Amino acid sequence: MTPAAAPGRFKGRSLIAFWIPGMVLVGIIVLALLVIAIPVLQNLEILAATAADPVVLHAFLVTFVAGFTAVGILALTGTPLAYALSRTDAPWKSVVETLVDIPLVLPHTVAGLMVYLLFMSQGPLGGPLGELGLTFEDAFPGIVAAMVFVSIPYYVNAVREGFGRVPVQLENVARTLGASKGRTFISVTLPLATRHILYGALLAWGRAIGEFAAVIMIAYFPLVISSLIYYRFTTGGIAESQAIAFLLILLCMVLFFVFRVLTRRAGVYDDRG
Amino acid sequence: MIAVEGLGITRGAFNLSAITFAVPAGSYTILMGPSGAGKTLLLETIAGFYPPSGGTVTVGGVDVTLDPPEKRRIGFAYQDYSLFPHLTVEGNVSFGLRMAGVPSRQRGETVQGLLARFNILSLAGRYPGALSGGEKQRVALARALGTRPVVLLLDEPFAALDSDTRSSCIQEVKTLQQETGLTILQVSHARDEAYLLADQVLVMDKGVLLQSGRPSEVFSRPAHRTVASIAGFENVLEGTAEAAGDGTNHLIIGQGTLVADSAPKTGEKYFICIRAGDIALTREKTGKEGAGNWIDGQVVSVIATDLGSRLRVEGAFPLTVDVSRHLAPVPGFRNGDRVVAWIDPRDVHLIPVPALPGGEDR
Repeated sequence: MTPAAAPGRFKGRSLIAFWIPGMVLVGIIVLALLVIAIPVLQNLEILAATAADPVVLHAFLVTFVAGFTAVGILALTGTPLAYALSRTDAPWKSVVETLVDIPLVLPHTVAGLMVYLLFMSQGPLGGPLGELGLTFEDAFPGIVAAMVFVSIPYYVNAVREGFGRVPVQLENVARTLGASKGRTFISVTLPLATRHILYGALLAWGRAIGEFAAVIMIAYFPLVISSLIYYRFTTGGIAESQAIAFLLILLCMVLFFVFRVLTRRAGVYDDRG
Repeated sequence: MIAVEGLGITRGAFNLSAITFAVPAGSYTILMGPSGAGKTLLLETIAGFYPPSGGTVTVGGVDVTLDPPEKRRIGFAYQDYSLFPHLTVEGNVSFGLRMAGVPSRQRGETVQGLLARFNILSLAGRYPGALSGGEKQRVALARALGTRPVVLLLDEPFAALDSDTRSSCIQEVKTLQQETGLTILQVSHARDEAYLLADQVLVMDKGVLLQSGRPSEVFSRPAHRTVASIAGFENVLEGTAEAAGDGTNHLIIGQGTLVADSAPKTGEKYFICIRAGDIALTREKTGKEGAGNWIDGQVVSVIATDLGSRLRVEGAFPLTVDVSRHLAPVPGFRNGDRVVAWIDPRDVHLIPVPALPGGEDR
């Protein structure tokens, strides 16, 4: 006769040995949030004044709109690049992959210098585009250019991973069913990579709005939120910069949470019939 | 029909070399070969997924060698059926019709007809993730037939199914083919599928087409060692023909000799192919089987099978022998038993070794 199972938790399935070291990282993030949040929440007057400050509101607007614009540009250019990388075994593929990763490994100041030299009024891109009326130095397009440059690997790598997970066989079958290469991409590949595209966009947006060094080297003005925090830190002290930082954290957390809730089912297919 | 003429393709280190064959209109052809033979690559090249390095592909009398897949009128189903996971069953079946720009109303009617034909109307709103293997296969076939292809290419469509489902699916596909007169080229590893479905069998290995013909012909008279293995010859031995004293030739295999019904040429090397079920096993020479090949040996392994047992016998040369439970002596054979194997010369099939292309299979 089989003995009855002993009451209590089944041994050997606990993740405690993984949670303990992992929680060190989570703990550091929580502490970092607290050292910003506690002093701000103890002085709500400064928080209210900061939230109503037109300079702060403008900086938020510039930052978020520039971030969305940068993600839009990445979606239009990075998506085809990611697909091409996911579907080629050419020997030069690793060269392109390395180039895509360069903004990831460079110090932000070096990325800023590159963006500045490229897009300044005498730069190889800034010069011709300037003649078309697009100015980058100390202008909104400069902020977007810096944000796009530093976010390229975050978007392209995430989306390439997504395309790589779409079986080529599905595309092949779609072709035999009469779909051209383009229609196959739009009707089959793109929907199946939705989750990774959204994740790549979120990563790229987060990276873009957080950029400081690269942005200020091409466009100190109009102020983005990271520049404003630094400016207030050097001129108004910790309290003023803390309040702006708290607002940024709060907004980002809400945005990220809403994004995750809205996209929870994106790219997940099962029986909903 | 499909006509493939001198088709070649190179993918990495793998080559398909000058493949030539034809699948007559309305017929069913099964393409066989060991893993890595290039069967799927051949199907994919015919479908237009990869550009050939040479040769032509003709579908329904039209040269489609340079056409993209969407222009070839070829239906395709992979082993895993490759249903679009983001579309419902209805969405999958209507995909080809949408791509063809068929108006919504007409599309709906056609899809309903296909769903009814394949008995999957009740699954119309479900996603592929919630379907069984057999259901997936019906959806894949309905989807492929929606665009009215001239030919259908199937890559091991029954391999992932359980035994019962597989049997019913094979019957369904056979009925479908007979009803529609569709030309089908299917990849398979299973001989029973070839016997049940195929008008023609093609066997290939290492990118080369080795043999073609009716299933019964190919499986009874293999012309290549690989074909012999696929045809179910469990014993493929190598030997040399030598003159016997009575004016005939016999075959020298290791320390033993064997007589075959066909007339081997003196000095020639042969692959000697014998089915495990064609060998009779006794404890001692009885003489009742008459003249033939008597090989003394010892049982070294016994494995139970559906019909009895499969024995490995070591003697002058090793033999695999199937013993039916109805014909086995009582008590049955056990490891270490001394036995005598009897082989009818008519059951010994010879394949000349020099006929092997490149000889690398030896």
